Amino acid sequence: MTEAEIIEALLAFIDRDEASEAAFERMALAVFAYQFAHNQPYRRFAIQRGRTTLTVRNWRDIPAVPITAFKDLTLSCCPPEAAERIFMTSGTTQGGVKGRSYHPTLSVYDRSMLVNFRQRFMQGLARIEMGILFPDEQAMPNSSLAHYLSLAKRDCGAPGSAGFIGADGLDLPRLTAALERAEAAGQPYALLGASYSFVHLLDALAAQGRRFVLPEGSRILDTGGFKGQSREMGADAFYDALSAVLGVPRSRCINMYGMTELSTQFYDDGNAACPPVKSGPHWIRSRVVDPVTGRDLPEGTTGVLVHHDLAHFNCVSAILTEDAGVMVEGGFRLFGRVDGADSRGCSLAVEEFLKAARG
Amino acid sequence: MTEFAGHLPGLSAAEVEWRVLDFAAWGESVQVSVPLLTEPQGCALAARIRENARAYLKTLPVAEIVSTIDKAVARLLDRNDPWRRKAEAVLPVVTGYDPETVRLGLSGYLRTFRAPQLQRFLAEDFVNPGILDAFQPAVKGGFTRAYGPELLLHVWAGNVPGLPLWSLISGLLVKAGSVGKVASAEPLLAGWFARILAEIDPRLAECLAIVWWKGGDAESEQVWLKQADTIVAFGGNDALAAIRERAPVTARFLPHGHKIGFGMVSAAALDTRKAAPLARLAAHDVMRYEQQGCYAPQMLFIERGGKVSPREFAEHVSRELAGFARTHPRRALSVAEAAGVAAWRNAEEMRAFDGGSRTVLGDAGDPWSVVQVEAAEALAPSGLNRTLKIVAVDSLDAVMPLVAPFRNFLQSAAIAAAPAELFRIAGLLGEAGVTRISAFGRMTAPEAGWHNDGRFNLLDLVTITEIEQSAEFAAEGFAPYAD
Repeated sequence: MTEAEIIEALLAFIDRDEASEAAFERMALAVFAYQFAHNQPYRRFAIQRGRTTLTVRNWRDIPAVPITAFKDLTLSCCPPEAAERIFMTSGTTQGGVKGRSYHPTLSVYDRSMLVNFRQRFMQGLARIEMGILFPDEQAMPNSSLAHYLSLAKRDCGAPGSAGFIGADGLDLPRLTAALERAEAAGQPYALLGASYSFVHLLDALAAQGRRFVLPEGSRILDTGGFKGQSREMGADAFYDALSAVLGVPRSRCINMYGMTELSTQFYDDGNAACPPVKSGPHWIRSRVVDPVTGRDLPEGTTGVLVHHDLAHFNCVSAILTEDAGVMVEGGFRLFGRVDGADSRGCSLAVEEFLKAARG
Repeated sequence: MTEFAGHLPGLSAAEVEWRVLDFAAWGESVQVSVPLLTEPQGCALAARIRENARAYLKTLPVAEIVSTIDKAVARLLDRNDPWRRKAEAVLPVVTGYDPETVRLGLSGYLRTFRAPQLQRFLAEDFVNPGILDAFQPAVKGGFTRAYGPELLLHVWAGNVPGLPLWSLISGLLVKAGSVGKVASAEPLLAGWFARILAEIDPRLAECLAIVWWKGGDAESEQVWLKQADTIVAFGGNDALAAIRERAPVTARFLPHGHKIGFGMVSAAALDTRKAAPLARLAAHDVMRYEQQGCYAPQMLFIERGGKVSPREFAEHVSRELAGFARTHPRRALSVAEAAGVAAWRNAEEMRAFDGGSRTVLGDAGDPWSVVQVEAAEALAPSGLNRTLKIVAVDSLDAVMPLVAPFRNFLQSAAIAAAPAELFRIAGLLGEAGVTRISAFGRMTAPEAGWHNDGRFNLLDLVTITEIEQSAEFAAEGFAPYAD
């Protein structure tokens, strides 16, 4: 398939209402064949694992690339310089080396994001006034999250929607004014942003002793965890605080789980209880594997998540994450990054060493 | 099977709240009850240990303490003793190490605590160990005597069985009342040792307590930190920094942070006759305790120019690891440990695509991984649990710039080289911060009297009281026989 053909096929696939196992498989094998043909490092990786277009018969056989490979290798079917956009990870680990995802066009990413976002976050609303707690795309042109949030605002934000994080950080006076307006008008309001930005907001509001009761139908979307950018909060404490300070019930606090190395996001249906079940649309599927052997683990057993995201067609679609999870009815539960710190004895593990070596 | 961890003189089991930790391996499971003391219980216990040590332990000649420890260690070395049998049965389930590793490891380790080895231990730090019993003449004049702390707190980490005995025995030798906090990963052996001591000398056993709190539980930790005169702590740098911050400024703090070990093989050791046995010893060091100990090798530097190339040596090591996988199976890995192994191996595989200078040996599903690298590469941790990087170098001197930047993490290095080269390289390694050089095959079994992390095990614990010559001479003037 050519690039134009695969893009066309994927856009059509995303526009379907759903996909059977067989339909997903056909598309997945086509995408794998495309990546095997055009992405040389991935081709070498697959061959080394004994997987080629001849031996891969099932989408589960498609070799999943460890997420760190996005830092070490140029994983792209198009020449990197031909990419319309390159999204980069924040580079907080591995000595500042950033994982890169190359997008020859954002049409597939944007379609994937919007179809899914409308269904899982908008839930029937055409538009809602949004407050964005993240820098905009001009400030962070390589951030997939900045692009995601700008799409949300552009295509699903009602008039008055605005970003509240600028060069000087959180613009609290403007944000509280927006929240007051929403409260007074009785219009539902949506706050979206990085999880750590919400912690800064909670701390700032607590310092002022401010609380809001946002109107019925208001909602919150947080993503990305705290990443050392704010104090760490347990999930229950975090959603309790959001609910108490902003008046949005925990069932309307939705967490998005996404990554730079994917073009599709996962959502839960609110955080009334944690950890909630997360799931994605019909063009992404997940497995839980034993990280050493790469083999599927039975439902109910904790392992490491592998995602097969057909929309991430230009890099690789199958990635082995560093996130622990368990498959359950309707999706998976996410337990966060796997961390062997407690089981290491007095020997030294890689991350601590790198951290110390960097000083 | 249920086991009770800890040793709490003066407290009955019924007075204490217990938490149950579950362990399973090798088709068996063990429940271990660990004590959760309240703050008043902790304070009372600390006071009791301090008082008991003052009243009894500090009055014992060090030779008698050595003799009692020797008897206790003999019990644990006797394969027919009930305590030894219990250790062999239970520790593999708790730690996950295969029964053979535990059996051999225990014997090898405990042997370093018999009377002759303890005497060596004492002699390493004290020219005259009698200084622990009475004032001894000082070279400069006057007299000196060494006193251990009244209350010594040990915060143990890690899951190499028995490691706590090292500092516990050091504490006894300097006559310190000891409180040891066991790690959740191996909470038993220290308490058993205390109970064996109790069978030999009950009053001695009342001078030490074995307790538990959940790692990182600052509140429980605080109770003990504020009681101790001296704190010996093992763990990662973050955990140690947290303890240092909470410890009273008047307490002596002796931290043992995480360390990384490595090995070096000279071309002289790489002929066809010597290479295979050497590879077996190196693989043994990797296999033993799944690299969980700070002394385990995570990287080997192999000199080019021998009859056996670095690549061939890596293949030898791989074969030996494959053999050990059968005789000493790797313990079951947690998800986090498995992810650590996979992340390391995956990253190496990815880098292997850059060119032909890196080879990943073994299959992803094998319970071991070896990566061989042709280009010089700086020291870095492996994925642990039998993962090893083998780096080719043009000369052993080329290793120094690769390890020197990590001075704060260096400790053990194994060297296979001829005597002149051994001493020359040892000098360079010492300058770089390495504190222990051993043979291959002995990395995980430091000898008796080892200066852990380059420090004095006993000397660091004591304070010296001096009777200056002036006092001695002045006293003469007040003697009844004075003219």
